[in-house]
Amino acid sequence: MLGKLIYDYLQKYSFPYPIDKKICSGWAKDLPSKGETILYTSCMYQTASLSEVYSKFIPYAEKLSPLSFLGRFIKPSKDEIERAYRILNKIAQLLKRNGINFAYLYEEEPYSGAILLELGYLDEFGQYAKSVYNFFKNKGIKRIITVDPHTHNALSRYNEFVEHFDLEIVSYLELVKDVKGVNREETFVIHDSCLYSRFLNLRDVYRDLINKSGIKIVEDELITGVDTSFCCGSPIKPINPDLSDKIAKARVEQLSKLSKNIIVVCPMCYANLSKYGNVKDWIEVVE
Amino acid sequence: MSQDWEIAIQRTINNNVPRVHKILENHKYILDLAKKLREAKMRVLSDLETYVEQTLEAVKRTGGNAYFVNNAEEAKEIVGKIVGKGKIVVFGKSMVAYELGIRKYLQQLGNEVWETDLGEFLIQLADEPPSHIIAPAVHMTKERVAKLLKEKLGFDVSESSSHEELVQKVREFLRNKFLSANVGITGANAVAADVGSIVLVENEGNIRMSTVVPPVHIAIVGVEKIVPTLEDALIEALVQAAYAGLYPPTYINVTSGPSSTGDIEMKRVSPAHGPKEFHLILVDNGRLKASKDPILREALLCIRCGRCHLHCPIYRVLDGSWGDAPYSGPMGAMWSYIIYNDYKPALYCTHSGNCKEVCPMKINIPRVLEYIKYMGNKQRSDK
Ligand code: SF4
Repeated sequence: MLGKLIYDYLQKYSFPYPIDKKICSGWAKDLPSKGETILYTSCMYQTASLSEVYSKFIPYAEKLSPLSFLGRFIKPSKDEIERAYRILNKIAQLLKRNGINFAYLYEEEPYSGAILLELGYLDEFGQYAKSVYNFFKNKGIKRIITVDPHTHNALSRYNEFVEHFDLEIVSYLELVKDVKGVNREETFVIHDSCLYSRFLNLRDVYRDLINKSGIKIVEDELITGVDTSFCCGSPIKPINPDLSDKIAKARVEQLSKLSKNIIVVCPMCYANLSKYGNVKDWIEVVE
Repeated sequence: MSQDWEIAIQRTINNNVPRVHKILENHKYILDLAKKLREAKMRVLSDLETYVEQTLEAVKRTGGNAYFVNNAEEAKEIVGKIVGKGKIVVFGKSMVAYELGIRKYLQQLGNEVWETDLGEFLIQLADEPPSHIIAPAVHMTKERVAKLLKEKLGFDVSESSSHEELVQKVREFLRNKFLSANVGITGANAVAADVGSIVLVENEGNIRMSTVVPPVHIAIVGVEKIVPTLEDALIEALVQAAYAGLYPPTYINVTSGPSSTGDIEMKRVSPAHGPKEFHLILVDNGRLKASKDPILREALLCIRCGRCHLHCPIYRVLDGSWGDAPYSGPMGAMWSYIIYNDYKPALYCTHSGNCKEVCPMKINIPRVLEYIKYMGNKQRSDK
């Protein structure tokens, strides 16, 4: 069963598939590895571009034995990895600029379990959540700063599965105050993250930040409204990669009617939409 | 995406979504009514068997016949007995009748059967499954409709005919059928447990005619449509119409038993001008079991406004074919599991969350679908 297989990988690699953990931690050098507050990446930015490869493997996953997965570690391209590192470093800098101190777990950082949750493997997710929670507790961690919506969502759901869950989960978006747009001439359109926008109550948080940054945003009731904006198609990639692509294409076509400059707030949205248009993480257009 | 679908769905969204936004903004009381309705429906769903009993008794008090059926077979048997063969039957749209295969069954028995809701009529002509819960032919462009009417019924229309001309031709055709029909079959938007009335909301006028012109009226309704009182049933009609973007609705029909009059010495006598028989068939088909599950129960709150469809990226990209007919879209992914035990449509949910944002009943649809995914995963691993 796929859920069991992913769970086994999580036990073995702390990730849903075999990966060299140095890829996840390579962006950080000078951060302390111990502290009550951590910056938590769940290796999402670093591996978002691999979701394509991963989803191609999924249909065969149940037929393969856990250890025969592709026979080797898979890696993002050099450009992709550099870009992810730049983004993570910028997030870290912004937090520091706002007076937030934090540690980072480097290669010990576990994955959040988001994929289990999103594929409906709730028993496995619950079990895994307990182990991650215990890991955090043993490290003396009290507060977790997330950087992407899928991780934030997964952690926010731990309390349904872990008794007396007592960690504070906060998005870096809530901690960062002023940012300045690097390009104030052109117009931009926001592709909202579904999870931030409609499940986690953060839509206004990043919109306010972007609006205040001096970047010009175009809105349209039928394209960027809270109840009308599309998803990027990424969550369905493991189930149906073609459909995922169709959604991404349709989404970029819609957004491009408003502006050719699309900004996203999620690494998975970036990975899925980039194929079809000029997409940037919001952090790449502010300083 | 087929090009036809892309055009049709885009036109539909442009016509409908801003209109619903405006309706809700201009008539704020609808938000309160929706909240009240959710509470009333929840009361029923927590004790569905009792409310079914209460409803059956109440219908009998009004001089109607009432039945409870477990599944399609039982429903067909009862409808078949009432209708017989060689009759003309007009259908005012009933999704539950579609679910149970009643139209085709009556045809097999040798009856002439016509859907009279325009969308459903087109679906019947094309022999295709409905693509939307309230606008079953939403996948057809105007041009395709003209072609269909010309090919199947020889209507004098062309691709350049206007929406109005197309509607007019169908009206002329169906008027005859209404007048000669022996039986009218409808669903119901709501059933009032206290008095046994059914409430139907519509715009075309076909439901009025299906319920009043033929001498026999049969309503086939899922048990989840029961609400505590007639007041709640009327509220359901208003809320459904508003969230469907058709507000005020052109007609709201209340039917309480066969037609009656109190005009001679104020004694209530039945029948009068309308049907002499009224039959209510309450259908289970998986609903009672779902009502016992605290998460699936939420899905039974659905009032079939069809709003979640137009806001869902998967529905929009998948050519309207997502879910098991007649249940399409996000609500259909939930209902495919409840009725047909099919968890696969739920796997397609990307948890975009637009559906939960717009649902008048505040159903957390992605959460229900997550649970169905979970149940499906378990089912697969048990094999
Ligand atoms: S699930 Fe909600 S939005 Fe969708 S059809 Fe039902 S009531 Fe309407």
